[in-house]
Amino acid sequence: MEMIKVKDLHKNYGAKQVLKGIEFQAKEGEIIGIIGRNGVGKSTFLEILMLLKKYKDGDVQLFGKDIQNLSITDEKVMKKKISAVLQPTQFYKKLRVKELLELFAKYYQCSENVAEVIENFELEEQLKTFFDNLSGGWKQRVSLAIAFLSRPKLVILDEPTTGLDPHMKEVLWDNIRGYSERYQTTVILSTHSMEEVELYCDKVMLIEDGQSVFFDTPQNILATGYENMNQFYLQNTKKGGK
Amino acid sequence: MLMTQLKMDLKMFFRETFYIISIIIPPVSYLLMGQMYGDLTYAGGLSYAQLYTPTFIILISFVTILFSFGFDQVSNRSNGTEKRIQLSPVSSSLLLVSGILKATIITGLGFVFITTLGVFVYDLQVTPVQMFLSFLGLILLDAVMLLLSSAIYSIFKSEKSALGMSIVLFQVVLLTGGFTIPLAVAPKVLQVIGHVNPMNYVNQFYTHIWNGTLAFSGEQLNGWIYLAVLSVLAYAFIIFQGKRKK
Repeated sequence: MEMIKVKDLHKNYGAKQVLKGIEFQAKEGEIIGIIGRNGVGKSTFLEILMLLKKYKDGDVQLFGKDIQNLSITDEKVMKKKISAVLQPTQFYKKLRVKELLELFAKYYQCSENVAEVIENFELEEQLKTFFDNLSGGWKQRVSLAIAFLSRPKLVILDEPTTGLDPHMKEVLWDNIRGYSERYQTTVILSTHSMEEVELYCDKVMLIEDGQSVFFDTPQNILATGYENMNQFYLQNTKKGGK
Repeated sequence: MLMTQLKMDLKMFFRETFYIISIIIPPVSYLLMGQMYGDLTYAGGLSYAQLYTPTFIILISFVTILFSFGFDQVSNRSNGTEKRIQLSPVSSSLLLVSGILKATIITGLGFVFITTLGVFVYDLQVTPVQMFLSFLGLILLDAVMLLLSSAIYSIFKSEKSALGMSIVLFQVVLLTGGFTIPLAVAPKVLQVIGHVNPMNYVNQFYTHIWNGTLAFSGEQLNGWIYLAVLSVLAYAFIIFQGKRKK
């Protein structure tokens, strides 16, 4: 089942054109990586899918509905199906982990799922810790637990494992894949880790200069002769940042 | 949902040492100033307690709204919390109502605290009707301060610049809002700034409400119109800023 369909998406910030034609589709349960240099429009694209930003031209369909002119009620219904981990990972500093889970469970009206995510993400030892006092890895883990708390149909992750040690990365990926398989959640993530794209993503989209220049499975891309995704990335992006 | 949000908002407020200090300082200043100027009679024949009890209630409200409402907004915006909340299905009006209720509860505590000090330390005479009307007046003026605070802090993206603005605003309001010395005896330059400082009018109105001398004519009417116009402009600016960010 198709969850997301994006056609010829354009977005401007004032006179600056950030997205100049994005084509994208995602099906139920797929894990899709969005790659590209800093400043090419990855975050803007994800923020449009999160209903945080409007766009200029093009067509974006989420769960079969055009998102440009949603009513307040439709937007609220859609937001219940979407969740995210943003960069930087922050929540209310002066709330404890348990309190944050309870608060977001109220937002998404899913209080019955709190015990399950505490168990699945092994959060017991940190439940009384203030969010601000958690380490970077634990903050990501709690954020991910909150993202999956409502069993969303779509989860958007903005560089979810940046700066984490390999053990914590594995823990997070186990959870991402586990939840995606169990609840057929579509996961879209932006990342600079080509290793993760190769290991965990069903598909990958490369954005270059505001356009989607590649959109395929890592296997198909590698079958065209690249040694690994890192080589593919380096050969298809301009040297240096914006 | 509203009760959960309000409970969390209050927990966050009372866990922040800086906010606690900021609501303790005004009552301490009220007592200290009373020791120095408690025997004087002020304009309109008002005693120290009649003039400064409402003034210090407004000061607590101002500090609470400035820091725990305005500055907190910038803090949540700069660290990404605001964006994470925006993409959840909670309505912004529910968050706003919770913020208003939080401010009302905390300023209400300030109201009770300062009034109790006034009654027991400075022999302040109050009636239940006066208390009720004064509390309603405080809620109305809280709404004005919330609008102005939200509009001002909607400009800032970083905590540092917002903190700088908070310090400047606090000093200006303290010196030109009638919170330390009456504006009539302040230097000319402070009097000029005081005439455009909305907190000066908020303070004056609340003193009138408290002492039963509120009027909708003459200078008071001009002041009310000024506050109403600023509130409408602030509301329009908040809406504009919200749309601009998309």
